[in-house]
Amino acid sequence: MIKRAGPHFILILFSASLLLPLLWVLRTSLTNKVSAYRIPPEWTEPIADNYIAIFTDQPFGTFFLNSLIVAVGSTAIALPLATMLAYAFCRFNTGGMPLRLTVLASQMLPPVILVLPLFSIFLTVGLINNHLGLMLAHVTINLPFLAWMLISFFEGDARIVEEAARVEGATRLQAFLFVAVPMAAPGIVAAGLLGLILSWNEFLYALVLSGKATATLPIGLSALETHRGVEIAMLAAATMFSITPVFVLLPFLKRYLIKGLALGAVK
Amino acid sequence: MSALFAPTLAARDRRFGYAMAAPAIVVLAAIILAPVALALATSLFDYTLMNMTFDRFIGFDNFVAALSSSEFANSMVVTTLFVIAVVALEFVIGFVVALMLTTVKRGKNIYYLILLIPLLINPVVVGLIWRMLLHPTLGIVNWLLGGIGVPDIDWLGHPGTAFWTVVLVDIWHQVSFMAVLLTAGLSALPTEPYEAARAEGAGTLQTFWYITLPLMKPVIAVTLLIRLIFAIKTYDLIYIMTRGGPGDATDLISYYIYRSAFARLNLGEAAAMAILLMVIVIVLTLALFRTMRARG
Amino acid sequence: MRVNMLLAATALVAVPMLAHGQTISILMESVPDTRFVQEVVPQFTEATGIEVDIEVVNYAEMHAKLVPQLVAPEGSYDVIVVDFYWVGEFIKAGWLQPLDDRIAESGFDTSVYVPVLFDLVGQVDGTTYMLPFYNYAMGLTYRKDLLEDPENQAAFEARYGMPLRVPETWEEYKNQVAFFTDREAGFYGVVNQGLRPDPIAMEWSNYLFANGGQFHDENWNPTLTTPEAVQALEDYKMMISEYGPVGAASFGFDEAFNVAAQGQAYSYLTYNMFRTAYDDPEISAVVGKMELAPVPNGGLNGAWGWAIPVSSPDPDAAWQFLQWIESPEIARQRAMLGGSPTRFDVFDDPELNATYPYYPALRALLDTAHNFPVFTYTPELVDIMGRELSLAVVGDKTSEEALAAIQEEFTELARRDGKIE
Repeated sequence: MIKRAGPHFILILFSASLLLPLLWVLRTSLTNKVSAYRIPPEWTEPIADNYIAIFTDQPFGTFFLNSLIVAVGSTAIALPLATMLAYAFCRFNTGGMPLRLTVLASQMLPPVILVLPLFSIFLTVGLINNHLGLMLAHVTINLPFLAWMLISFFEGDARIVEEAARVEGATRLQAFLFVAVPMAAPGIVAAGLLGLILSWNEFLYALVLSGKATATLPIGLSALETHRGVEIAMLAAATMFSITPVFVLLPFLKRYLIKGLALGAVK
Repeated sequence: MSALFAPTLAARDRRFGYAMAAPAIVVLAAIILAPVALALATSLFDYTLMNMTFDRFIGFDNFVAALSSSEFANSMVVTTLFVIAVVALEFVIGFVVALMLTTVKRGKNIYYLILLIPLLINPVVVGLIWRMLLHPTLGIVNWLLGGIGVPDIDWLGHPGTAFWTVVLVDIWHQVSFMAVLLTAGLSALPTEPYEAARAEGAGTLQTFWYITLPLMKPVIAVTLLIRLIFAIKTYDLIYIMTRGGPGDATDLISYYIYRSAFARLNLGEAAAMAILLMVIVIVLTLALFRTMRARG
Repeated sequence: MRVNMLLAATALVAVPMLAHGQTISILMESVPDTRFVQEVVPQFTEATGIEVDIEVVNYAEMHAKLVPQLVAPEGSYDVIVVDFYWVGEFIKAGWLQPLDDRIAESGFDTSVYVPVLFDLVGQVDGTTYMLPFYNYAMGLTYRKDLLEDPENQAAFEARYGMPLRVPETWEEYKNQVAFFTDREAGFYGVVNQGLRPDPIAMEWSNYLFANGGQFHDENWNPTLTTPEAVQALEDYKMMISEYGPVGAASFGFDEAFNVAAQGQAYSYLTYNMFRTAYDDPEISAVVGKMELAPVPNGGLNGAWGWAIPVSSPDPDAAWQFLQWIESPEIARQRAMLGGSPTRFDVFDDPELNATYPYYPALRALLDTAHNFPVFTYTPELVDIMGRELSLAVVGDKTSEEALAAIQEEFTELARRDGKIE
């Protein structure tokens, strides 16, 4: 009984430590700044003003849509490319360690170093204030990390099953598509998820490369820290709004990640 | 398979490898190669926001200037401590959570959903939210602690405390990153070794030590590496929470580089520091993978 | 080809094409004065047919956003706003268009601006590059109700032998801070903004001036190791450790303002635009209780200016907008909405004075204000000051050591900029 309850106890403790601070953010989103900072806290009738304000006074609908387009777009470009690259690295050791490091090296530089040259290049080719431009910029962040994450997911059993398939006449491409990729699915889904998150939170490229029409959520959120103080109640509402995609992701998790989990649970 | 065919097969394999790698390499090269090359070049010039031209070559002066600056030295020390603290703590917590997630049968979806939530919050917002929660006299945290008799904690106003406060907030925000990757790694493990171990009557700890851990090595190495790179690049959290202070207790290198570029307007020196940092990370990466291979 | 088609497609989705008419783009900071501009611009569009597209970003990130635009041959912004902080850098880099010809041609009257503001965000070495937009000179905000309470007045006079009144000397103010501090009750004489780099550097500058110190002599030789400067830093440390709330060493202006707005502090030395914030019941619990006064001996000046960048795609339309937004009528309208004035005609407007009784105090603030050193390396100086002052506040350095370090680096910067030697 204790053995069963132990993991749940740890997970509940962990979940609570992540959620409790957000509970206070939720409360803040339903009040105003003066009540948010009242100590001891006082009960206030919840108000929807902040949620209305972020869509009427502020274009959070547009910010959200831009973030969604850029995150989904950049991940859709980066994930297949990264999967192929990782497979090449893992199976054929393409380019060896030097190529692996070269791919990752640009991400070892702080973005502040890269953003000015990137801006001038994008300006020349007309990719400023443009969804595609920001997507491509985010691909350069996502691709190296996703590829590195995925390398190890092609190790192990996949090798043996692939060989069997090859013996039975499958081409290399077929072995990759129909054996390796499905077997690495938990890794690919997790990497895709982290790719979406990286793009969702990216700030500096989004700041410099976007314009009014293409500004993403991080830009809108940070603008709530004004020279006359932080619009904390509105910020709290916008934060609550910005985490809603997690609920959209849930069905995907069910299909891939959870199935994957069952495998590991054999022990 | 006859030996005669082997070279041809190997060559075909190699070609297929290049074909698989090519699209990614082409896309990356097209977008990021020129900016990286420019950044590398600026480090050798007196290249500032005032004078954005390559007409004053100064060799390694920017590197010398960076290495002889006490502010750079301090930020390297602070960054090292910060990176060790967050990567180690997040790894331990993340791994425990991943193991528990693969163990439980009910509620996985809910747990997984919850752990994703902090990851979706922008670092700037994370900083602002925690500044509110941790406000010494007007924040809910000190008020709750006050309820059990703890006097007001100066979370960010005291050098030693501020460092650990930033570490804690980073853990709250990023620990799930480790958990997601490690959970995926655990989920992709082969099943046979576990069945064999169970047949031989191995205990939970033995299974973990002799099967899970060795099999997880590649995933662990990559997880540590990626988190390490992100930890070294931490700057928004510092920008919002402490601006490197109080004193210079939380002055992380990435924030220092940011200031060199935009407050000190010295892009050349910023690039030089970034390159030094990159060299360190590459050395660390090689060392990490060598150890992993040696043990495996 | 494919890319171009994709580009076209995205552009169609992203930017609903303006069917007709001219548009000018402006990059602005998220601050109330920007909102007031947004409220009046429809009148401009109505009068001229020119659409105005205002993009709003956070102050902290604005510089990073602006620089790439300014170095580009043609950027996205027709008009920009410039913090006094960046003036030296922007001029040195040659990013702003001189306005003198346009001013002369259109007969625009620049004599309406308060001189100390026009010196800060108007003219540089005799050339006009900007028009003052709004001011954020620093002043003392204090609890008027406590100051005017007869019991407090009697007790204060008995203890210090001087009347309790709006402080006219720094000594009076320090006594008031000590007098009102009651740590047991969680009430503090002062709340400080000790966060690096600009909050602490800007706040401490007031202490420097209040103690009779200056940043440099008339030849730009830094004067930060004087006894006045040391006393200013000693005062600052004392305020934080003895008379301020826990954590003031890390407070930005938001945290500090909240302490004052929740009624936990007698005073807060800050930007004058917080004066109106205290009267907003959504964010303040001390509505009607706070008042603004000049810092004894004069506080720190601060302001933003309108400018036309060299990379402006349409400088003519930009100037048309500047003339309009800084016309007497529109300046008055913006002030009516709560904007922070820069012009005599606005300061003298009877209706505005009736609506905003603190106008005389604000005017006095500007009349006594001192400017921060404006040169190419202002942001770097602020960064250095932030680091060293913070080190002194947490006790890692003595006041003398910290100021000596600032003095040394400031001297180096002034030399690099050709101000000295």
